[in-house]
Amino acid sequence: MAHRIKHPIHLEQPRSTYIHVPFCVHRCGYCDFTLVAGKDHLIHNYLEALSRELADLRAWGNFASSQPLSLDTLYFGGGTPTHLSPEELRRLFEIVFEYFSLDENAEFTVEANPVDLTEEKIAVLVEAGVNRLSLGVQSFEESALKLLERDHTRETIHDAMNRLRGRLDNVSLDLIFAVPGQSRKDWKATLAEAADLHATHLSTYCLTFEKGTSFYQRLQQGKLSSADEELQREMYADVMTFLPQRGYEQYEISSFAKPGFRSRHNQVYWSGRGYFGFGPGAARYLAGVRETNHRSVTTWLKKVAAGESGAQEREQLSDEDRARERLILGLRTLDGVNLTTFADETGFLMEELCGSEIEKLIAAGHLERDARRLRLTHDGRFFADSVTLELL
Amino acid sequence: MDNKHIRNFSIVAHIDHGKSTLADQFLLKTGAITQREFKEQLLDDLDVERERGITVKARTVAINYEYQGEKYELNLIDTPGHVDFHYEVSRSLAACEGALLLVDAFQGVQAQSVANAYAAVNADLTILPVINKIDLPVVRTEEVLEEIETIIGLDPEEALLVSAKTGQGVEDVLNAIVERIPPPEGEADAPLRALVFDSKYDVYKGVITYVRVKEGTIRKGQKITFMKNGGEHDILEIGQFRPGMKTCQELGPGQVGYLLTGIKELGDVHIGDTVTESGNRAQTALPGYQQPKQMVFCGMYPIDATDFEKLRGELQKLSMNDSSFSFQPETSDALGFGFRCGFLGMLHMEIVQQRLEDEQDIDLIQTAPNVTYEILKTNGEVVTIDNPQEVPDAGVIDEFREPFAKVQFITPSEHIGGIMQLCSDRRGIYVNTEFLGPQRAQLTWELPLAEVVYDMHDKLKSLTRGYGTMDYEIIGFRQADLVKMDILVKGNRVDALSTIVHRSQADRRGRGLVKRLKEEISKHMFEIPLQAAIGGRIIARETIKALRKNVTAKCYGGDITRKRKLWAKQKEGKKRLKQFGEVEIPQKAFLSVLDASEED
Repeated sequence: MAHRIKHPIHLEQPRSTYIHVPFCVHRCGYCDFTLVAGKDHLIHNYLEALSRELADLRAWGNFASSQPLSLDTLYFGGGTPTHLSPEELRRLFEIVFEYFSLDENAEFTVEANPVDLTEEKIAVLVEAGVNRLSLGVQSFEESALKLLERDHTRETIHDAMNRLRGRLDNVSLDLIFAVPGQSRKDWKATLAEAADLHATHLSTYCLTFEKGTSFYQRLQQGKLSSADEELQREMYADVMTFLPQRGYEQYEISSFAKPGFRSRHNQVYWSGRGYFGFGPGAARYLAGVRETNHRSVTTWLKKVAAGESGAQEREQLSDEDRARERLILGLRTLDGVNLTTFADETGFLMEELCGSEIEKLIAAGHLERDARRLRLTHDGRFFADSVTLELL
Repeated sequence: MDNKHIRNFSIVAHIDHGKSTLADQFLLKTGAITQREFKEQLLDDLDVERERGITVKARTVAINYEYQGEKYELNLIDTPGHVDFHYEVSRSLAACEGALLLVDAFQGVQAQSVANAYAAVNADLTILPVINKIDLPVVRTEEVLEEIETIIGLDPEEALLVSAKTGQGVEDVLNAIVERIPPPEGEADAPLRALVFDSKYDVYKGVITYVRVKEGTIRKGQKITFMKNGGEHDILEIGQFRPGMKTCQELGPGQVGYLLTGIKELGDVHIGDTVTESGNRAQTALPGYQQPKQMVFCGMYPIDATDFEKLRGELQKLSMNDSSFSFQPETSDALGFGFRCGFLGMLHMEIVQQRLEDEQDIDLIQTAPNVTYEILKTNGEVVTIDNPQEVPDAGVIDEFREPFAKVQFITPSEHIGGIMQLCSDRRGIYVNTEFLGPQRAQLTWELPLAEVVYDMHDKLKSLTRGYGTMDYEIIGFRQADLVKMDILVKGNRVDALSTIVHRSQADRRGRGLVKRLKEEISKHMFEIPLQAAIGGRIIARETIKALRKNVTAKCYGGDITRKRKLWAKQKEGKKRLKQFGEVEIPQKAFLSVLDASEED
């Protein structure tokens, strides 16, 4: 059933790198990311281990090179990368640039916490060449910020934005909706305030209760209640109505950007192209193999320090797995999946892979197809996971 | 072997009173197994049994023991420890002259201790009371001895105190077996009469028949006849369990062992049959046993219709090793082609179900179990109902009858009130209360079997914090005001969800059931009304709202593998759903009927 893969993009040299920085002052109640809170004494070991994991890259046959590899996108996520001291931050960048260099037009993103953005740290970031910040503001509303256990206030956000103005203007804000107690009015006010701050990009996430978080526990114990599904839907609908009015174009389920400001790094994840990844919990996708590092920071540290691989899982995607994944991830973007490109890059015709399911989803009004591409309808965006389950 | 040097005995006990450990100690003390082999539950060779810590099938083992310079052969015929397997207990006892009544030194006499002790008394056996677990830090040996006297009527002076775990007192028990249990009778040269008390299927050897020789001698190469079932066979091999199968040349009167005849079908060997020699037939057969009666039924359906034949094959295989399990094809509008399976009780059902799951990879839908009912029709005909779908129209029913059980509870006195409440809520008829001492009592109730089998044991355990025990026997059918309750999902009747309920409980159960179904069936793209109905009358209703949003916000590099796994799991779960019209109903929903009983 599979045809020749005319254009095997997954085998090409990756031009994107993700670095995970697993440190925070505090683990927020909803957060299940890979991080340690209050363990700053591990930063030193982390930098050592990261350097070691990066050095291993040179040993990987296909990518072996004594020269730094050139990148289109570089992304530091966390945790909180800006939790590191200016000195540690400099060291972090130094380590990474031993192995990678940035292309002239590269996108260089760092995730930041508003309270961390002192003059000094902004200077370190700018000096390193950071040209995009992703700010974890989550909300502008005091009660929501408090419930989410964030350490900043509305003022902190404004102060940080003011300090950044003129030096680092390409700022994306992360926002969370369906916070317990939050009304639609509150949410719309938060959206408006974000737009007023001239953020170039907004990511909006519906609050989820992940296993292992204190929110999850409180939900189980009945001490916290999640927003009603109808309200969640309305709030998501509000985003899709309001942000375009303010000049933000939706290009993925949760991503909205001013023209020219889409996250190039994130789009790589949905495109089927490869990427490097370093640090605990980081994932890499190289030559059709995806590896995910240990999510426990200490395990990752131990493994890497012992000269072993930091990877916890490794999966070699079959041609069909890869094709389905490409379809599912591609459909999360509003551009959808180009029919010809899909066939060229995966070796599968969409109708061969899941023709009847696609027809069903089109009939249900969740997908639409024209001569060129298949994509989610407006209504389908509310049911992206249901669509995924059909196509998997 | 001279029968004066043979002793045949069983150990009867309440579950967890240490039966298997004591049996293992016998093997250890007599050198039949090494210390290394002395592991817990050695005699329970089925995984299911080990997992649940109970003995399901009767096992047997021959032990050599030297007492006062003479060699004895002690045959231990193990018995199952659960009420579902009562009939197996009685058939093991029929092969013995004595029984050890094993009682936990802390827990004391429990419901199954009583039931099993009475069974031993009825079988005319010599009973040796044995108090186990005397090594525990907290014991109440004196009171337990008193209970043995008051409840079972045994002389506490005769009781032996042991710790099966440490081995303390075990030799005294072995000595007592020789001293107090009478040797078997029977002449070695009389015409052969051997009781078939169990059988087992082995892929390589065919059917292994367990026998106890009553009279005469059984030898290798002999031609034998099964007196009731007919059929002549050559004995290819005889032997004993020590505890592994060990061949021998002959088995004389009183001896216990196995024989192989090349029979391939378990159904060809009838438990309770008598083996005799073809050329020298005995005059009369041994009394034998009553066939066990299946009291609990459920439907089993393959989710994928093409698995039907495969399921049939698996059920056949299971029934080969378990003659008390039955199955026959049936159809359901909702579930398609499947089988109605009959069991001795709930535990038996769960065990069979678990074996099916362990040994094959067919996705199954199991319907909620029900007991057998009887209906007297207006034309005078009496029909047996194993499936709620078979209930005829109300107009032709003259009398609806359900099985009743006599249930005995043993409980600390403080929980009497709770048990009384439980039983009266379940339409019970109070019989009496006997105090077994200042702190404990035995309650007797008559209850509809349907109210007993599903979850009474669990309810009792939680009510009495684990201290209450129960046992029951079926006492016949009685008329009751029963009705069939149907469930409509989005307006369509799902026949596999129909149940038989007492009219007085219909509203409560109906409400409970639709509520449970609401939790089990996930949201769809449309609204799903759930209704419970009797005849055309709706007695309860719930609505599953339409799904309004199902989208994960974050899906970046590190999320993809995790999300994909999650989706794959959900997708796998979806495969186990059955499509009814537009509605997908999960397997678990069909069992909601059980949990619904206590809601509201």
